[in-house]
Amino acid sequence: MATPIDPMHQFLIKKIVELPTVTVPGLGALDLSITNSIAAMLLAATLIMVFYGFASAKAAVIPGRLQTVGELLYGLVDGLTSSIIGHDGKKYLPFVFTLFAFVLFCNLQGMLFGWTGNFLGFTATSQLAVTLTLGMLVILTVIAVGFAKNGLKFFKLFAPSGVPWPLYFLLVPIEIISFLIRPVTLALRLFGNMLGGHVVLKIFATFVSILLAMAPAYWLVGVLSLTSVVALTALEFMVAFLQAFVFAVLTCVYLNDVVHLDSH
Amino acid sequence: MATEPHGTVETTEAPKHESGGLPQLQFEHWGGQIVWLLLIFAVLFAVLSKVLLPRVSGAIETRGAKIAGDIADARRLKDEAEVQARAAAAEVAEARAKAQKTAADAKAVASAAAAERQAKEEVALAEKLAAAEARIQIARDEAMGHVRAVASETAGAIVQKLTGKAATAAELKASLA
Repeated sequence: MATPIDPMHQFLIKKIVELPTVTVPGLGALDLSITNSIAAMLLAATLIMVFYGFASAKAAVIPGRLQTVGELLYGLVDGLTSSIIGHDGKKYLPFVFTLFAFVLFCNLQGMLFGWTGNFLGFTATSQLAVTLTLGMLVILTVIAVGFAKNGLKFFKLFAPSGVPWPLYFLLVPIEIISFLIRPVTLALRLFGNMLGGHVVLKIFATFVSILLAMAPAYWLVGVLSLTSVVALTALEFMVAFLQAFVFAVLTCVYLNDVVHLDSH
Repeated sequence: MATEPHGTVETTEAPKHESGGLPQLQFEHWGGQIVWLLLIFAVLFAVLSKVLLPRVSGAIETRGAKIAGDIADARRLKDEAEVQARAAAAEVAEARAKAQKTAADAKAVASAAAAERQAKEEVALAEKLAAAEARIQIARDEAMGHVRAVASETAGAIVQKLTGKAATAAELKASLA
């Protein structure tokens, strides 16, 4: 039985529950059917709520295992917001935490439940639509916070003080572009990492089954391939965590830019 | 019902796939994902920020307050114990000083009493000595007084023995003078 090398198959969107298509004026038809990607996101959000529901149920002074893990993740994000944004960081903790938890659970879900072969193991963060939406969410929040905190002084973000004025002709466009490109880099970094890692894993794993089906002479290569799959899986788990962390860190950094605009 | 769209997606997808297009760039799936993601994110954010995260931070704060309170209690108790230990040490020192003073006083009283008694004894002894000396003096004087009589008697007896006749008292007295 030949196994075709099709590493992109895992990213295919498949409909699970058909829902009516809504026509939005000005935008066109919007298919709201629940696909595997949406189901995976629903599952991730549900898991987060269930996990934190149990982890914070007792709110004991001496925490149990679940509560310890829950507080560990909370403490991680709390450390980020308070160390990067500073004293005002607590206010933005729920937003950053929601982002972090959502990205982390989406990433890990694809790693942990990939063996099921259905939506449970679908990595929603490998969808550009998802990561770009998250990136836009971050930058729109940053802009909203910026205007809410600074009013029109928000535009000072693009004109750093302490620069000779002729330089502004060069500096302001660069600052604007670098600001506008932030959601794109956020989205592409997460998307690229999840996509690349999963593709490589899939290719090596497919190699194993192909090589083992061939003559015994190829088995050594198959075993080597299997070893690298094991190693890459460990690496991919690290990447899954790291990318969620990086997403949270950058969100904090961008928020800090507009929260402490005066110190620019 | 669920398999039918699945099939259609696969078939419409196949040619794109061969040309190397990413499934992620099938824009017909973007709208649904974006809308659902925003919905899911909003619900998750609301539940986390309003219900779950306050419980987590509450537990952490309660723990911090409890630890801080316990440490403050322990510190207070330690201070109290130190104060008590100092008081006890002072009390011991005071008691020791008192005891030493009492001992010294008792010694002084005892030695004073002994000295007095000794002095009294000495006086009594001296009196007895004087009395004894006086008695001795009297006895000697008396004895000395008797010596004359003894001598005269002896002389009378000797004279009588030698001469055969007794000497008169006047003669004896004159010879002894």
